[in-house]
Amino acid sequence: MTETKKVAIIVSEGSFDKGIMAMMIANTAASMGMEVHIFFTFFGLNLLKKGSKPKLKGMYRLFTGTFVKRMSKVGIPQFGEQLSMAIDQGVTIYACSTSMELMGIKKENMIDGAKIVGAAGFLNIAADTDMQYFIG
Amino acid sequence: MTDVLDCKGLMCPMPVVQLAKKIKTIDVGQELELISDDVGSKEDIPAWCQRTGNELVEAKESGKIFTYRIKRLK
Repeated sequence: MTETKKVAIIVSEGSFDKGIMAMMIANTAASMGMEVHIFFTFFGLNLLKKGSKPKLKGMYRLFTGTFVKRMSKVGIPQFGEQLSMAIDQGVTIYACSTSMELMGIKKENMIDGAKIVGAAGFLNIAADTDMQYFIG
Repeated sequence: MTDVLDCKGLMCPMPVVQLAKKIKTIDVGQELELISDDVGSKEDIPAWCQRTGNELVEAKESGKIFTYRIKRLK
């Protein structure tokens, strides 16, 4: 076994596909024993609202339901479930403090356990990671 | 009796997520069998074993069904 690899993910969009993509990478990495840190910023922060049910973007929004059905057929859980799964697997979730102000999202409206940090705080963590992904 | 984790009908990332959970329930030195119909598992399961330091004892393919025997090493 090699040393523990660390992963940093930044999510800047709140659409269904971006959220699911981030969660799939996070859950897979965590299952492989990696340490995962995800920073939700700008529209990505909407994903951390309690009970968030993201939709596809633009016109595709209307097809979200079809996608959800297809995904459940192949056993891929929905966003909220994947987020809980990630937290259970030890993934650390960060909420961008500036985005909270910009988007008018309060701590009490977000999922429990999200750490509130600024960009510097997250970059300090990302600086010590082996892999960095930007999903936006 | 080897524990069996049936992941048929589950696509990435669920097989490895479930494998990570399941392996913790068996003793070190014991094996478990994972069954999948996700073609991606052919790369994913060996990658998972390599990364987590567990041993892929055997990988079999029969039609669209892939069977893996994984030994918990740590």
